[in-house]
Amino acid sequence: MSTTPVIEVERLNLTYGDFHAVKDLSFEVRPGELYALLGTNGAGKTSTLEVVEGHRRPTSGTVRVFGHRPDDRRAVRPRMGVMLQESGFSPDLTVRESVGLVGRLTRRTDDVDRVLDLVDLTGRAGRKVSQLSGGEKRRLDFATAVYGTPELIFLDEPTTGLDIQSRDAVWTTVDRLRENGATIVLTTHYLEEAQQRADRIGLMHEGAFHREGTVSELTRTLPAVIRFSLPAPAPALPVRAAVDADGKVTVETFELQKDLHLLLGWAQDHAVELRDLAAGPTRLDDVFRAINS
Amino acid sequence: MLSIASSELIQIFRNRLVLITSLIIPFAVCAFFVRQHETYAAIGSLGYIAAIVVFTVAAFGLYATAVTTLASRRQNLFLKRLRSTAEGDAGILAGLLLPVLLLAVVQVTAILTALAVVAGGPANVALLVVAVLATVAMMIGLALATAGLTNSPEHAQVTTLPVTLGVIAMASWVGISGTENLAWLKRLLPGGAATELTMNAWNGGVAVTDSLLLLAPTLGWVVVAVALASRLFRWEPRR
Repeated sequence: MSTTPVIEVERLNLTYGDFHAVKDLSFEVRPGELYALLGTNGAGKTSTLEVVEGHRRPTSGTVRVFGHRPDDRRAVRPRMGVMLQESGFSPDLTVRESVGLVGRLTRRTDDVDRVLDLVDLTGRAGRKVSQLSGGEKRRLDFATAVYGTPELIFLDEPTTGLDIQSRDAVWTTVDRLRENGATIVLTTHYLEEAQQRADRIGLMHEGAFHREGTVSELTRTLPAVIRFSLPAPAPALPVRAAVDADGKVTVETFELQKDLHLLLGWAQDHAVELRDLAAGPTRLDDVFRAINS
Repeated sequence: MLSIASSELIQIFRNRLVLITSLIIPFAVCAFFVRQHETYAAIGSLGYIAAIVVFTVAAFGLYATAVTTLASRRQNLFLKRLRSTAEGDAGILAGLLLPVLLLAVVQVTAILTALAVVAGGPANVALLVVAVLATVAMMIGLALATAGLTNSPEHAQVTTLPVTLGVIAMASWVGISGTENLAWLKRLLPGGAATELTMNAWNGGVAVTDSLLLLAPTLGWVVVAVALASRLFRWEPRR
């Protein structure tokens, strides 16, 4: 597989009036990668995404998609699918007409019924878009993005408003596309989706990267957490911990395995029950919370 | 482009409000003028009726419908959606406007044919076609510019008023009072020269070369409208 980046962004700047939305941002997305662009509200990720998708011109800096300018629609768009954050379908067209129209305009070929089946909208094919629920509209949007199996797919908040079955179905389809080599750029507020699936994450804050790297690179900088409740009174704990008035214990550690082993041994020796015991790696949520602290 | 155009046509026929403003109202107004052609020919001339027909369809069927369509497609982000595909901006606009344009041309042709059948045909058909096409081009340009100032389809009911009422007033002013007085003013205001051209084509009696000079102000308005549109037109709603 080619290692030339699918997306190259170099020193991208974007200003609206005197508001500097994106500051000197550089990153690349490699073929076959799932790259998650995450950030706090107003961090500049939508602005960045709109430049990369070709909807907005950068104030300065260069952006290349498949080696072309992103607004070179003829060259770029047939190879990429876009799921917008807000739907943008005509309420008076049916689901089948909408998929057919947008599909044809991408210059890719596919079977509308196959795509509708993929997102479980076959039963809604003849309905007008105005009669769809919010979740169904998201699925319609996803259908147009994956029409013709493009090499690059932008998913902007793909699972917002979807029930758990639809969410799983979306990810099953994305997994299948990735097995065939598709590159995915994702933004989401469901951090566990990014944590589970992203190869790399660009975490934006105030127009620039707060951090960029793999999930473990991002979480490694923060301690893992062990939580449980202790019945009172209990013997002294073998590790450093914070205990609140209700007996809830929080242990922060960079040596999760060792400290957990110590704790379990200690509990066994003293016949103490560690109620509601939970231990896990640092979550992206914690990385997010640490941005402002 | 043709995919967009055919989907637009479907949408026009599914949306009752658009169907009424773009087809029924102009058709009803024109039918009235054709039926009462003797009365209006006495006030102005048959050419005046032809000009009123052209401007009624161009103002309501074409201009107001085009502005409403563009504002509504922008408001529900359909324009952004189309711009996420491989289609270029010119193809998108052409696709969106083609059905409205075709409907307007078909209407004008049908009503003027009816007028010709009941009251006698135009003196110079080719010149009439030129007059209609110049008017249509001007109204499309003005529609693109007005769409830039229009936030929603509801808002279009207000923003289209100056041009719709303005050009119809011009058609009546020029059609009834002629261009003996205030000739330059009448010819320079949008719709004035086009009305005179339409009347010359229908009534005859004016040298074709003189009539063709009347194209200049109308084409000038096309240039002004397109220049305004390129500054004002927006593809996405204001946030």
